[in-house]
Amino acid sequence: MANVLDLRRRIRSVKNTRQITRAMKMVSAAKLRRAQERAITSRPYAAMLASVLESLKRRIEIVDPDTGEVRHPLLKTREEKRILLVVVSGDKGFAGGFNTNIIKATTHFLGSNDGKEIDVEAIGRKGRDLFRRRYPAARFQEIESHDGHAPRPERQRSSQIEVIGDHPGLLEKLSFDAARELGEEIVDRYVHEEIDAVYIVYNEFKSVIQQRVVVERILPIIEFGRHEITESQEMSAEERARAAEAALTAGVSLQPGEAEADIQEFEDEAKKFGTAEVDYIYEQKPREIFDAILPRYVTSQIYHALLESVAAEHAARMTAMDSATNNAGEIIDSLTLTMNRVRQAAITREIIEIVSGAAAL
Amino acid sequence: MADTDQLRVRLVSPDRILVDQTATAVEVPSSSGYIEVLFGHAPLLAAIGAGEVRLHGGESDGQRYFVARGFVEVLPERVTILAEVAEKPEEIDSGEAQKELQHGQELWNDAGEEAEKYDQANQVIAEAESKLASSGRSAAGSHS
Repeated sequence: MANVLDLRRRIRSVKNTRQITRAMKMVSAAKLRRAQERAITSRPYAAMLASVLESLKRRIEIVDPDTGEVRHPLLKTREEKRILLVVVSGDKGFAGGFNTNIIKATTHFLGSNDGKEIDVEAIGRKGRDLFRRRYPAARFQEIESHDGHAPRPERQRSSQIEVIGDHPGLLEKLSFDAARELGEEIVDRYVHEEIDAVYIVYNEFKSVIQQRVVVERILPIIEFGRHEITESQEMSAEERARAAEAALTAGVSLQPGEAEADIQEFEDEAKKFGTAEVDYIYEQKPREIFDAILPRYVTSQIYHALLESVAAEHAARMTAMDSATNNAGEIIDSLTLTMNRVRQAAITREIIEIVSGAAAL
Repeated sequence: MADTDQLRVRLVSPDRILVDQTATAVEVPSSSGYIEVLFGHAPLLAAIGAGEVRLHGGESDGQRYFVARGFVEVLPERVTILAEVAEKPEEIDSGEAQKELQHGQELWNDAGEEAEKYDQANQVIAEAESKLASSGRSAAGSHS
């Protein structure tokens, strides 16, 4: 049986661990609150973009009446042969199943789209590191320019699935500009017909107890203002209960706050934006406005996904650290019990020795 | 004063709602020049270029915002501006703007014969220039 000194040492060590996990939980809770607010305040903009596009769509002919072709390249659907898959994971671990779930969903997606050429664009260090080990990186061959026009670099594909792009630190200091760069690049590739469809895998964040891993189609755009979710993985009831408990002890409210109610009202109004039943005067041609807004819509979708993923990551870490703290508490209890028992046993033994020694005299 | 002749002005960026107030007049940098909107303006939809949104009268009197890349919807009693970039002039980092300007000029020099790249470079330059102008005005204003 272990001696008292060893047990005491172990208890001290578990106690230290518990302090760390508790601190991490509180830090995640604070970060979650901020991320949640950001995700919410970004909603009106996205809603307004969608509604203005929807209203413009009715005023211009998207489909060419002569050829029956869609006029804007971002609305054109092609047969899906080459797919770009944007994978949004976290930069750090210690977040329970957060990164694992993303990777699982990605692997599943890759498996079910066997035979197509897929580019994986990983955002977040955890996903990037994994997919880089698994698949080769994309290589491009610069082509000499002949007539002053710099041609697009030629793709040298060596494998069905390749990893493309690198965005270190994008999530850590998430800004709209960073999302815009990413969005513009993706739009550019789609317009040049290097890819036929764009999907994004991320953790959707509705609230602390409502999150799911989703695969969403970003391009081509079929309908505005709707998330084209093709696959999703909901939280289990058990996970939800644990998340609720963690939120409670960390002081994160589950009910929508006042600010959120304001935004909700704003969002409802945002849906009416640009859709008034009046004839607008258009400063530019409706078509030009439409064309200018469309790429921005793609960017705003990506930005939205990134914001939600960041909030979900903090929520997942908070929950995981709360469980870790609870588990540490249980271990401490059981070790203390063992320690007391061992100590008691030693005392009893000593007494027996003394008594039997005295009896022998 | 009757507040029936007040415009409800909103300025929304991807990150937040910057303005949700009333004003009697709003100047908006449409991509084909500044337009001033008063109460009762005919419904209008326009893309906006880089420049300043200026608010006059009402709760928001005298406020200015630098905006770029967006569009505006005008209804008789409401103005909503959506912009990817929206900043208060005093929040602008002029050093950063100067760098952007240089970057734009480099792009312009490297554009070769491609119209598309020229347009892009011109856009970056225009944005940086009006950003600088906006922040410069605010600095001059605070010293006087």
